[in-house]
Amino acid sequence: MAVSGGGGDIAQRPAPACCGGNGNVGRPLSVSDCFDRGLRRRRRAPLPIEAHARSDGNGLSAAFSIRLRDGGGTIGDVGFRADTCVTLIAYCERLAELATGRSLDTAARLSAPDLVAELAGVPPLKQDRATLAVAAFRAALAACGDGSMSLQSEPGEARP
Amino acid sequence: MKVAYIFATQRHTVSYVLGKMILPQLEEGRHGADVIGMFFFEDNNYVLVKGNPLGERLLKVTREKGILLMGCDQCCYEREIADQLLDGVPIGCFPDLYKALSGNPPDQVITL
Repeated sequence: MAVSGGGGDIAQRPAPACCGGNGNVGRPLSVSDCFDRGLRRRRRAPLPIEAHARSDGNGLSAAFSIRLRDGGGTIGDVGFRADTCVTLIAYCERLAELATGRSLDTAARLSAPDLVAELAGVPPLKQDRATLAVAAFRAALAACGDGSMSLQSEPGEARP
Repeated sequence: MKVAYIFATQRHTVSYVLGKMILPQLEEGRHGADVIGMFFFEDNNYVLVKGNPLGERLLKVTREKGILLMGCDQCCYEREIADQLLDGVPIGCFPDLYKALSGNPPDQVITL
């Protein structure tokens, strides 16, 4: 995956163990791979830093939530809520997997084209779901830096 | 009467019912109902893959008659054919199907 702006650490990062353990070694991730995991992540309770949902012209919406660690500079966990569109859920899941363990700055460089390149086999008509996923994720990143975080953090939660 | 077909079962649904009944009747203009759309589940989506002889015939007649074709998105992703469908044939789920049919809704939805 190519990441503009010097985000080479993302490009070189190996796939998470969960992606390598289901027969995906040697082939690109598919939507189905991420959709199944995304359904499970989508059912989890929101994490402490939660952004408002973002919507697109197709009537779809998504919202991400984040838990920080290591003094607030690293994403410890990512959650999301999204409408039941298989493509959108798969993109949100892949974005969550890519962002977890990354610094806020590095995660902010993830773009919709990066996400499209991550998942093979999505028809062009459905690739705009990546734009929605990234917009919703960036809203959560922005929430990490505003005053609301102090209200939303759990006891002992890292702060920026 | 306006109808929409949902191809949900996987026995001879496509090769026989569609391929040897519905499609020839549409080609010959004697189907007896105005077909508004066709939606495909599971392995039935393989008929929509580019190059499928039945699918190519289906595409031709549906273009002539303005019939919607749509594949189930989860089914197509699972089979890794979502980006290999006939030109202009979208994938989607129920919201997409209902939206696509809303401008000219069928009187009957027939599940095969």
